[in-house]
Amino acid sequence: MASREVASYQTPIGRIVGLLTAVFLGLYVLWTVLPIFIMFVSSFKDLLQAFQLPPVGHWAGIGVFFDFEPTLHHYRNLFGNLGFSTYLANSLLASLGSALVSVVLGSMAAYSLSRAEFRGKQDLLFWIISTRMAPVVAVMVPLYAIFRSVDLIGTLPGLILAYTTFNLPFAIWILKGFFDNVPYAIEEAVLCDGGTRWQAFRMIVPLVAPGVGAFLVLCVLFAWNDYLFASVIGSGGAKTLPPATFALVQPQNIQWGSIMAAGVVTTVPMMFLGLVIRRYLVTGLTMGAVRE
Amino acid sequence: MSSVTLDHVWKYYGKTVAVRDLHLECPENSFLCILGPSGCGKSSTLRMLAGLEQISAGEIRFGARRVNDLPPKDRDIAMVFENYALYPHKTVFENMANPLRFQGVDQPTIDSKVRKAAELLEIEHLLDRKPAQLSGGQKQRTAIGRAIVREPQLFLFDEPIAHLDAKLRAHMRGELKHLQRKLRTTTIYVTHDQLEALSMADRIAVMHEGVLQQLGTPDEVYNHPCNEWVAGFVGDPPMNFLDCSLEQQADAVYACNAALRVPLTPQQAAAVNQAGGKLEMRLGIRPDDIAVQRGALTNGAFAGEIFVTEPIGGDTLVDIRLPGEQRILARTRAGFRGDVGEACSLTLDQTRMHLFSRETGLAYF
Repeated sequence: MASREVASYQTPIGRIVGLLTAVFLGLYVLWTVLPIFIMFVSSFKDLLQAFQLPPVGHWAGIGVFFDFEPTLHHYRNLFGNLGFSTYLANSLLASLGSALVSVVLGSMAAYSLSRAEFRGKQDLLFWIISTRMAPVVAVMVPLYAIFRSVDLIGTLPGLILAYTTFNLPFAIWILKGFFDNVPYAIEEAVLCDGGTRWQAFRMIVPLVAPGVGAFLVLCVLFAWNDYLFASVIGSGGAKTLPPATFALVQPQNIQWGSIMAAGVVTTVPMMFLGLVIRRYLVTGLTMGAVRE
Repeated sequence: MSSVTLDHVWKYYGKTVAVRDLHLECPENSFLCILGPSGCGKSSTLRMLAGLEQISAGEIRFGARRVNDLPPKDRDIAMVFENYALYPHKTVFENMANPLRFQGVDQPTIDSKVRKAAELLEIEHLLDRKPAQLSGGQKQRTAIGRAIVREPQLFLFDEPIAHLDAKLRAHMRGELKHLQRKLRTTTIYVTHDQLEALSMADRIAVMHEGVLQQLGTPDEVYNHPCNEWVAGFVGDPPMNFLDCSLEQQADAVYACNAALRVPLTPQQAAAVNQAGGKLEMRLGIRPDDIAVQRGALTNGAFAGEIFVTEPIGGDTLVDIRLPGEQRILARTRAGFRGDVGEACSLTLDQTRMHLFSRETGLAYF
């Protein structure tokens, strides 16, 4: 295999470009990390300290941001009085549930679409992805009507079903790409070993595991961050974190401290998930693209 | 163990014919090679035997049992694939144990059978490795191990050693043949390498463009090819072909062209006569059956001019230019020296010569 190293040589322009890159990256980090930082810090401050600002132009006063007594008051309020443990559980169940259903059904559908040849296959594939082309808002009203008539509004199964409606077509398309890359010979070997088609499918699922894992995360993220479905379909009995957080904004009283704490509660699990599966996410999402 | 019969089998892919009216029988416990260039239908044939492809027409029988409509798992076959098709996420042991697990065999039996097979293939020390940690030869042994643990009725090999390097390939030829003789399992082996077919098979089926050309022992296929195509495909370096015509003279029949004049033996002449041969022929002679001498013509020899000599270790190949823009390749002893353009004389072993019809390519003898 050829070396991947690219020779680079120092030139005056190169140095300037390098400097500009560093400045740009610095600004970018500030831009993306600062809001999250403020959210974290504020969630541990009481309201008075949270709104303390140094005078304009007084850079030395920047220390007031860090000068505070840490308090868990907002978190206690969130989980004690506002019932966020339920919303957190709802969020987890809805996102994991829909991700699992999407990936299980999606991988089976993707496998058959990858392996079987039949008339109208291309049309079927297009139809599947076309269900994702309409904006979510456009189908929300009919979906609401249907869900209400079968009593799924405000229930977790209803929310899971709604998310699955949108995750499944995507799952089928992405996973089909992964299955397409698995050589036929492996499942033919299973068949010749005396296995059934189902056993052959089970044998190659581990081979697409990086893809399945990566897609699982995408599904979880979609459901976890969703506001629209959660507020319409899940309203009432299946409230998740985003609408619950929004409910803290009341006309008379915007509970900034609790909102910040809710933000942290919403962000941390996904950041943690991202860290854990980072390696698989990258291999998974690039695996389908590059044919070896 | 069972015999295998392909009874007028056809295979179509859409409108393309891959296998045309194939009729083949493989007796119990024997080793049949299906030999042909890529695209000749040999792999399709094997896949139909395995049950991986539908049979378009005809019938395949294992013993007396018709298997056309049986899925692979009910055919009691084991197949070794060209790219080994090992399960990359399983260890060598689990790869080999897999067929037994499907059969629901208990763990102690699996253990002993896998270890026995591993011992036979000399891969006991690799049982805990994953396929990615194996060399080509070891992967191939694992794939064979997976096939033999289940003691099937029939082994199917799809060019199993095509991707190994030349030295290992030569070694594995012997190993595979030894293994088959030892296990006595009916084996069908697909290859494009005529050397593999000649060295391993009890019988060879030569295929070309979906049609069976010749079915016979390695000796028959090599020494008595049924047509020009088989004669040219089997043997390395390939047989020489020269256009010639027959001339009847008082004492004998001669095959002649601008460079040659070879008398036929009475048996050969009779064979041509019997088949009602035309006068226009193709003469075939293997490089081994040509003797080359430097310099002057002796009695019964023909004149040529050395185009190039290629020493290949044990032998020397001599490419000779004949009068009338013809070329002929001869194999002679190592140490033969000859300069480009030097005159030489050659003699053909006429008993080892072949004549083919120029129209149909069929052999007269």
